[in-house]
Amino acid sequence: MSLPLGTKLKIRSMIYIAGEPIPYFWPMRSFIHHNPLHALEHLPFKDAVSEGERLFHGRGYLPRTTYQGYLEQGKVDHEHLRQDIKTFLSTRDNINDIDEERCLMNLLTKTTQPVIQDHSLASSADLKAAFNGQVPTTDTSINIEQIKESLRQKLQGDRPVYEAIDALYGTEIGKELDELVIKSCLDFFDEGQSVWGMPEREQGFFCAWREVASCNAKLFVRGKDINKILEANKSPEGIICRVMETLQIPEENWVAYFTSELTRLHGWAGFVRWRASAKHYYWNEKYPADLVDFAAVRLIFALALLKEQARKHIPSTASEISNLIENHAEETYLRYELNSGSVLPAFAVQVEQALAIGNKKRIINVFNKYVINKRAHEASQQAKRLRQLAIAADCKIEALKNMSEDNLAKLVNTFSDFEKQEGYTWLRAMESHAMSQLLKGVSLQPEPKREKRPFVQAMFCIDTRSERIRRHLESVGDYQTFGIAGFFGIPVSFMELGKGSQSHLCPVLLTPKNLVLEMSVAEQLDVNAATAMKKAVHELKESIFGPFVTVEAIGILFGFDMLGKTLMPQTYHHWRSQFKKKKPPTHMLLDKLDREQADSIVRAVQRAVIVQAVHQEFKLETEQVSDGMVRELREASLGKLNDTVVFKQTLKLSNQQAKDFVKRLQDVYRITPAFSRIQLEQLARIGFSLDEQVNFVSQALRSIGMTKEFSRFILLFGHGSTSDNNPYESALDCGACGGNHGLVNARALAQMANKAEVRYRLRKQGIDIAEDAWFIPALHNTTTDELKLYDLDRLPSSHIVYIDRLRNGLLSASRLCAQERLPSLQIQETPREPAAAYREIERNSMDWSQVRPEWGLSRNAYFIIGRRALTHELTLEGRAFLHSYDYRVDTKRRLLENILTGPLVVGQWINMEHYFSTVDNERFGSGSKVYHNVADRFGVMTGNLSDLRTGLPSQTVLNKGLPYHEPLRLITVMEAPFEHAKQAIEAVVTVKYLVYNAWIRLLIIDPEEQLVCSYENGEWIKRPLSSLQKPVSPEEANTL
Amino acid sequence: MQDMTLLLTALFLPLFPLSMVFNALFTRIQHVALRVILLATWPQIGLAILFTTDTAVPTWMLTWALITALLYAFRMLALRDVGQWTSFLATSWWAVLWLLATDHNQDTLQLYAIGLTIPFILLTLLSANLIKQFGAAYSGLHGGLAQSMPRFSGVLVVVILASIATPLFPNFFIMLKIILNTSSAMPIAILVLLVIWLLWSWAGVRLLQGLIVGTAKPGSEGEVSDIKTATSWLYALILITLVAGSVYFSGVFA
Repeated sequence: MSLPLGTKLKIRSMIYIAGEPIPYFWPMRSFIHHNPLHALEHLPFKDAVSEGERLFHGRGYLPRTTYQGYLEQGKVDHEHLRQDIKTFLSTRDNINDIDEERCLMNLLTKTTQPVIQDHSLASSADLKAAFNGQVPTTDTSINIEQIKESLRQKLQGDRPVYEAIDALYGTEIGKELDELVIKSCLDFFDEGQSVWGMPEREQGFFCAWREVASCNAKLFVRGKDINKILEANKSPEGIICRVMETLQIPEENWVAYFTSELTRLHGWAGFVRWRASAKHYYWNEKYPADLVDFAAVRLIFALALLKEQARKHIPSTASEISNLIENHAEETYLRYELNSGSVLPAFAVQVEQALAIGNKKRIINVFNKYVINKRAHEASQQAKRLRQLAIAADCKIEALKNMSEDNLAKLVNTFSDFEKQEGYTWLRAMESHAMSQLLKGVSLQPEPKREKRPFVQAMFCIDTRSERIRRHLESVGDYQTFGIAGFFGIPVSFMELGKGSQSHLCPVLLTPKNLVLEMSVAEQLDVNAATAMKKAVHELKESIFGPFVTVEAIGILFGFDMLGKTLMPQTYHHWRSQFKKKKPPTHMLLDKLDREQADSIVRAVQRAVIVQAVHQEFKLETEQVSDGMVRELREASLGKLNDTVVFKQTLKLSNQQAKDFVKRLQDVYRITPAFSRIQLEQLARIGFSLDEQVNFVSQALRSIGMTKEFSRFILLFGHGSTSDNNPYESALDCGACGGNHGLVNARALAQMANKAEVRYRLRKQGIDIAEDAWFIPALHNTTTDELKLYDLDRLPSSHIVYIDRLRNGLLSASRLCAQERLPSLQIQETPREPAAAYREIERNSMDWSQVRPEWGLSRNAYFIIGRRALTHELTLEGRAFLHSYDYRVDTKRRLLENILTGPLVVGQWINMEHYFSTVDNERFGSGSKVYHNVADRFGVMTGNLSDLRTGLPSQTVLNKGLPYHEPLRLITVMEAPFEHAKQAIEAVVTVKYLVYNAWIRLLIIDPEEQLVCSYENGEWIKRPLSSLQKPVSPEEANTL
Repeated sequence: MQDMTLLLTALFLPLFPLSMVFNALFTRIQHVALRVILLATWPQIGLAILFTTDTAVPTWMLTWALITALLYAFRMLALRDVGQWTSFLATSWWAVLWLLATDHNQDTLQLYAIGLTIPFILLTLLSANLIKQFGAAYSGLHGGLAQSMPRFSGVLVVVILASIATPLFPNFFIMLKIILNTSSAMPIAILVLLVIWLLWSWAGVRLLQGLIVGTAKPGSEGEVSDIKTATSWLYALILITLVAGSVYFSGVFA
């Protein structure tokens, strides 16, 4: 049976909408930090967190005890807590019998467990009785309708049928279903990890899976006759429709139901969703898949498993569950209590036995006894907790005892509502403290006039890790530093030497238009040999039989490798690196090709292909293939010539044979006019025109306010990391470069800025780069703190005499930075000398057992857009993204808008990734790295079978089980006149909503009015900066 | 008369359905000391009665014993209450002791019964602790004990391992003895014994999974307290003594 097109489209639309809350999952080769609740950013932060908690079953804030720890450490604004409590109480009915404010303050700061428990049966009358030491009266019978309603809410609606069955019968259908779906995904989405691939993958996920599933004997033997379900329809949409109808889910609930299904494995669903949207993605082009396929596979398995359970007389549809609630409410209630883990422990055995025997009378007896006890238990527990709170808050217990039932109900509701939103209160109070600490230290003093230009000007990525190295570099000599997005404002599609694929070196928000090629200036490597060797080793390791037959022969070689890496990582690494052939010196093809050059390249390629083709087909050696023959064949293939005389004569071929070969050249070797045009279009993407180069350099320099007084050396630091055995390595690389090293962009900008024609045009625009100023690309290795200069072969000879001084300065900064960072990476925080610390940190990067080679962007909290002088005196401990900006050179706000559009949004993603990975590392983060296994070469799983782990591992955000990263929303500081900044924010819609929905906390420091403006609760609040500042003691500075 | 003796023995070295008496009694008695006494004395009474007569145990009774052990081992898979689990395991174990009845003297068998019952007694003491803290010793209700009660969890794991005949504990050597003893007389019984052993292990793992792993929950009275260090050392001492004793006696009775 085929489904009407309209219905198919409806199903597709439903799945599309259902999948929207699920965040994208990018392959980990280029780890992209992102907000797990990105799809909910249209909501205010507080509401979005609640919705995220519901959808993903995660936690949106830290546990209360952790916040209490922060309070003890002085990291929470106590007064802010009090104010928030007052504001909260002002919206509630006043209860005069008790000091609610004091109680709530105690609840927040002194009580470790929640005071209000979910109580389904106890009423306020029961609570009152419990306060007075009485047992709830048994004459008030339990309202069975209330119990039914509660069961409907828990078991129906958008809750998948099998989840309801699991909750009632203790089956593990959900778990088994997840495993089956994961196995199917692992088979299909494999990107070369397995030597044997799933067959028919070209047909798409659903079709390929269908072929395999229909002959899966294991499923058949167990009674999951997938074929019967598959026979119902050929298309995934048809199957989805059929399954939903069979499960008897009302159509108005379908979208919510699909969302619940997809969020159960949100890692895999996020990957499928991203993959389907990534049109250029090689694996998706080759083996297509989308969420409709994914949902169809999942629903088929779900139905099959439910059918299997149905044979044991367990309900398998939504209607059957509904009937169960309506007609057997007592049994259903007891089942839910027992299997959801909320049964009173003392009754567990009794309830289990009654349900196992199945006698209705006995079940009702147990039910009646159970609910009375449960009610009494709930009331007594609640009374106990309230009493403890009242004692802690120095309130009179008598007041609670004498409180009317109405007031008692109000009190419980007030406390309950407060506890539901207390996380947000804590968060705001922590942020308030962090903001006031920062504001105390900022300086609006103009930079002192320099007598001479600095020795070196260095541009670093805005990344928080640059803050430390910049501070140390500034401290060791006459170095002036700037912060700029790590891709230097140049979106580049890069083709590395020896690689056939392109990497996008820019934030994922952008799509680069220009392609940059890396060209070797040395003799070419034998790439084929190296690749073949790697492939052979891979196949030996990964195939089923390979290790079995070769382990005795060559296993010991791998053993040596393992011993070396484990026992002497640093020495072994240095020894082994001697055998690796170093990458040859390269240049980048940055300039645009003109038409003639492009034509010439296409011609050359076509000629080379023809020579190869003739050799391939006729075994003619190169020297036997004359230029004339090649020209003739090329023109014939392109339709410009009818005959190929030389070719025929040389090979003594008939007319037909020659024509056949020309046809082959067209069809197989693609020497056709149409393909030539495509090649020309591709070539047109290579490089940047002179105008583009001037624009990029101009924009980069202006955006950081660097338009005059250029030093002799201008260093452009990209950054990257090095670590061993670390699937998360790219998470430590530059986010602004799409999770890659930033060196390529630095080289590109340097090459452009060093060009005389570019400088000439910049001069006309008012950017006068000194004649002797030279841009040098460099790399900041964030794991080792090494600062390494590149492309020194292009350095003018006049600069060489300064190189030693420069290198010494860089080395000193690296060592000091390592010394500052090392204690936080060690188990024992032992101080080390700079040189020793530097060596120790280098070892970390080579140790394959090291789960935390560096802390990455952990503890990020601030994003500062302004002059360096604003925070120059502050030690920000690697917690701030620093973007240089001078509003005086940006009268039209264009540069500020660019900063907001790109770097700030990326910063917010990074911040939110860290926030959610910290507050709930298991659900929003990826748990411990120790248990991770690489899945299909693009993700990791916990153990051998789990959802794809999204977010950051615990080793990145937690230390000894407690948060190392302090989860705060990004506190963004902009140094600019209020109206200037406000208009820029209004102009960038994404950022406007981030600010107005409180996803970032914005502070505008107006240097002209000396005001601090913040956006709080829907309005701008202006305060004089001086009122927020007082001298910062070293201790206070450390709490930043 | 002899049949009556055997039947009476089948009550104390419990065989199904007479085994229901012991299990009902064990479930009804909630007091920990009484449970310990019951565990310690019940098989001893059975052995004492068995050796009042010189009659050899008939083969059909051995088969009956094996079926009883298998039945209880299988049923243990679905049990979540630690107390019930203990009594079922004890029943299963004591039934298996019948296989040694013909070839061993009373003292040896009584020593075996003591050795294999000690882990059950420890388990009963541990389950009492759980009941005190959580209101019940019930798997799956209050997981995450490894987090909230690490010392207790450590002891619990080792005691359960000892109960299910993990090597070096007395139960392991006794099981080995039974298998070796039975190999010539009833070769098919070895297979059944191995299945029983497998079921005990499986049930043990399921029980531990519901108690030890997962996220910790607060106890019925709020905070959960672990056993004292001294208590855990005491448990360790008993377990080490058991291991040492079993290694020693395995040589004596080899």
